[in-house]
Amino acid sequence: MTWWLLTFSRGGPAAYLSHLDTARAVQRTFARAGVPIALSQGMRPKPRLSLPLPLPVGAAGCEELAVVEVPDDQPGTAAALRELRAAAPPGLTLLAIVVVGDQHPRPQALEARYACLLEGDAGAVRAAVERYATEVSVVRERVSPKGRRTLDLKDYVVHAAAEPAPGGTRLSFTIRRRDDGAARPQELIDLIATWAGVEPVMRGLERRSVIWRDLPPGPSPGAGRSVST
Amino acid sequence: MNEHAQGSRNSCSTGWARDEVERLLARVTRPGRYTGGEFNLRLKPGASPRIVLSYPDVYEIGISNPALQILYAHLNDATPAAAERAYCPWPDMAALMRTHDVPLWTLETMAPVAGCDLWGFTLPHELTYTNVLEMLDLAGIPLHAAERGEGHPIVLGGGPAVADPWPLAPFFEAFFIGEVEHRLDAIVEALAAPSRAQRLQALAAVPGMWLPGVSERPAQRQVFTAFSSTPPVLRPVVPVLEAVHDRAIVEVMRGCTAGCRFCQAGVWYRPVRERPVDMVVEAAEQLLSETGCDEVSLLSLSSCDYSGIEEALTRIRALRPGVRVSLPSLRIDSAAESLGRFAADQRGSVTLAPEAGTQELRDAINKGVDEAQFEEAVRATFMGGFTGLKLYFMVGLPGETDADVAGIARLAGTAARLAKDIARGRARLTVAVSSYVPKAHTPFQLEPFAGEAALRHRQQLLRAAMPRGVRVNFHDVAASLVEATLARGGPGSHRLVEEAWRRGARFDGWTEHFRFSLWEDAAAATGVELGTADLDSAGTLPWESAVAAGVSRSFLSEESARGARGELTGDCRDGVCAACGVCGAGVEMDVLP
Repeated sequence: MTWWLLTFSRGGPAAYLSHLDTARAVQRTFARAGVPIALSQGMRPKPRLSLPLPLPVGAAGCEELAVVEVPDDQPGTAAALRELRAAAPPGLTLLAIVVVGDQHPRPQALEARYACLLEGDAGAVRAAVERYATEVSVVRERVSPKGRRTLDLKDYVVHAAAEPAPGGTRLSFTIRRRDDGAARPQELIDLIATWAGVEPVMRGLERRSVIWRDLPPGPSPGAGRSVST
Repeated sequence: MNEHAQGSRNSCSTGWARDEVERLLARVTRPGRYTGGEFNLRLKPGASPRIVLSYPDVYEIGISNPALQILYAHLNDATPAAAERAYCPWPDMAALMRTHDVPLWTLETMAPVAGCDLWGFTLPHELTYTNVLEMLDLAGIPLHAAERGEGHPIVLGGGPAVADPWPLAPFFEAFFIGEVEHRLDAIVEALAAPSRAQRLQALAAVPGMWLPGVSERPAQRQVFTAFSSTPPVLRPVVPVLEAVHDRAIVEVMRGCTAGCRFCQAGVWYRPVRERPVDMVVEAAEQLLSETGCDEVSLLSLSSCDYSGIEEALTRIRALRPGVRVSLPSLRIDSAAESLGRFAADQRGSVTLAPEAGTQELRDAINKGVDEAQFEEAVRATFMGGFTGLKLYFMVGLPGETDADVAGIARLAGTAARLAKDIARGRARLTVAVSSYVPKAHTPFQLEPFAGEAALRHRQQLLRAAMPRGVRVNFHDVAASLVEATLARGGPGSHRLVEEAWRRGARFDGWTEHFRFSLWEDAAAATGVELGTADLDSAGTLPWESAVAAGVSRSFLSEESARGARGELTGDCRDGVCAACGVCGAGVEMDVLP
């Protein structure tokens, strides 16, 4: 079997898909394009496709990754990419495919940069962001179907900045992934909005870039891709 | 360890939705319901007229409706019109839209629905009626057609529920009665007229159109006689959000003449018409590519009766490895044979519908299957490796006694025993029991609704008699009471719908949203007795003044009398015409040789 690393962007209507729906859309794009995906073994075989870093519902992603296992006898990636682009739904743009050796470790996200627009008092938003920078610890409780857990946002959100933008304040921030997970973008947005006294409604949330560990070398899908070792 | 940083572009969000819509999307559950972005979505900027198509339920239900796909594909691909879609917003979104004064938009262009020329609703059943009013209100369009003017769209209703359009009549300018495929071009042409009054006049001239308060005679139900020679939809909209159905659909046959006396669809889609096998197989092949699905559903009211079923199944399975073919309905009298054919590629569960518990009652409703056939079908299900069996029954049928209800438990017991013997505990058996609601244009159209007390009594009897380990699901009696009131409503019955909606009734087909107290209060306020129908059997029935279904009143009366005598009526496909009145004047049964 061969692994493909597919880079794509998610925006427009596709930004409002859940993680599972996004994976389904990518899989459906392969099926429509006639590009086969390898199947898992067992009674109910499933396509071997995964998106290593889920995007929040409502967020655009500029350069997302899908890891796809394909049969060995696949034609070239250029032809496949052409077919996939033609078969993709609105908002899902396929950028590049890199063929990965079977022994290569799967990429793991280390940190991701986000941006969104917060409406309301720009000065208050900037003050809230400055306050965040000076706080030593910002503990928040997260309630999910699995139960309650507390996390210190300062362990995860390593950078936050605010700048004026048309219609509000552009909030940009970087979330680091740790072994125990990561903070959610909405958790920081809610915090800043609460401190600033504005509605926690954001527009145009997007994940602008991700730093990966074990990303295999290959053609750069976007401008300004940098490599460090 | 090596680290690679992917370069970033400045931005990948495109300002795609209007700001006010984007603000709402950030705050609701499943925002993908409101954004479109599906595979095969059509965009026709600048095209005219602009038509919005709606199904009055949430997106995941509406996107799976095949009728809307037919209309959408034809209007966009074969006429100058641009067809867009809107579904009923879930209550969380509806509340935000009202708070922020954002009117209902379409999935294609995000533009307000209110700006379209024609708004067409497919009306599936009575429990979606309050959603129609909800959508009109959210779009900012006056509820009553009489209050609309030049700048408002014409609101047109269609679908099976217009068999009796009275409960919605004042909210619509027009209703189309029957199958619309061959009339779509004429409808689009009518919209080219310069004024609203002229457009309505032109619409009124389209065969099958009934305009409340304008039409002087009932509209003749339209039959799409070119069904057999017209390919099915080959490029359907495919949702990216998980929907209730995820499979490619080929409608192989329209109509069913099995003649079940309770069944409205059996009357509404007469006569039977079949598509050639070559057309079905070619459509399946193209649909597998266009949809990316690995399952093809051969759709009809009774797909096992499709003359080309064997050949179609064999050839579709041979199209590509792993493709599954499903049939949405199996007839018990031929189920054992059908299950033998499908066992190779079907997994999961099988649904069988004996409908009634005793032979006498099954004969009365013209179901005509016997217990030996039932047992054989259940046996074939479990022998074939299926792990689930669902049995459908109804309570409240005309002439039903407690003994008939006990018969349901007895049949369930037989199935449970076979499940244990053959599947050795690995199979799930579920019994679904709905309440019979008499419908317009059926042989039982004059029968009384069983009523709340009788239905609850029979549900209780059944619950007590049901063997252990069998899961029974009952349809909500209160919802049936509402359905029964609206299914045969006459002029003025719209007041109940409007009053219930004003009191907050929405998504009445959803157990978690249905609030009977709202309907009770609405009924009290409008002087309606829920569950009753004020019918004069000697005179014109309310729906007959609006709809000529093509099946004669004398045929329906004769069928009702035969039911009371327990006499079966054969399927006209078998060569004996029951003289229902549908055929003639170019409308004929059209089955494969």
